[in-house]
Amino acid sequence: MVGKVRPPPELVREWEREDEEFRELRRRSADWKFIEEQEPRVRLALIAYIETGDRYLAARLAGLTLGEFDELRVKAGVVCAT
Amino acid sequence: MMLGVADSCFLIDWARFGRRELLANLFEAIFVHEEVLAQLRSPSAVDFASRLLARGVLRLYPWSLAEEELYLRLRDEVALDPRIPSLERPDLLCLVIAYETGAVLLTENLGILRVIQFHPTFSRVTAWTALEVLEQLVYRELAEVRSVGDFLNLVAEYCEDAKHVFSRKRLEEAVERVRRWLAR
Repeated sequence: MVGKVRPPPELVREWEREDEEFRELRRRSADWKFIEEQEPRVRLALIAYIETGDRYLAARLAGLTLGEFDELRVKAGVVCAT
Repeated sequence: MMLGVADSCFLIDWARFGRRELLANLFEAIFVHEEVLAQLRSPSAVDFASRLLARGVLRLYPWSLAEEELYLRLRDEVALDPRIPSLERPDLLCLVIAYETGAVLLTENLGILRVIQFHPTFSRVTAWTALEVLEQLVYRELAEVRSVGDFLNLVAEYCEDAKHVFSRKRLEEAVERVRRWLAR
């Protein structure tokens, strides 16, 4: 059994600030009309991406590969942030 | 010239950049795992990867059993931490390759960047996002940048093409490094 390697609390606080900055950027960039017009599974995946920034999670939810989901992300106008 | 290893997120985003071909001028070889290639579907990403493979710049990495064990250990250590997103197998494999070879890891995966910030073993890996790659293009005079404004225009060009944004803090740090380099 391998032990967990945990990040220090000050780094976690920095990540939380970063997550909020990125989430806001994704929300503001999104074409919400386009998102609302999508079928439920795709809509859910795009919203999950906007809220979490996790491309793999969103791709899985949409039933797509990472590359296919990224095409969708661009159509929905959602920026990727790092 | 350096060695690089590119993950799916990086290749997908960089392939949208109008000046994407410049990447090949920075690296002697860029390793890629076959599971990363399997994630590429967009015409721009497939076309870009195919061109690099044909030129011998992008090379399939010969994955080993020892590396698979290292991946499993890393996955067990960090993959379930909810504060670190996107820690999926293809991109973790790239982190292992970068660790094993000393290659620069090219990634836009926030989770991978976070692991490198604190992991006692993997923090020795050098990771670049597109922002650091753009910086390197300046330092190696592969992009004509004579002022901070030129650099910001280059970054803006990438952001527009890739539908990408960089954190304010990281962008300010990069601008400061470029400013110092221009004033040398």
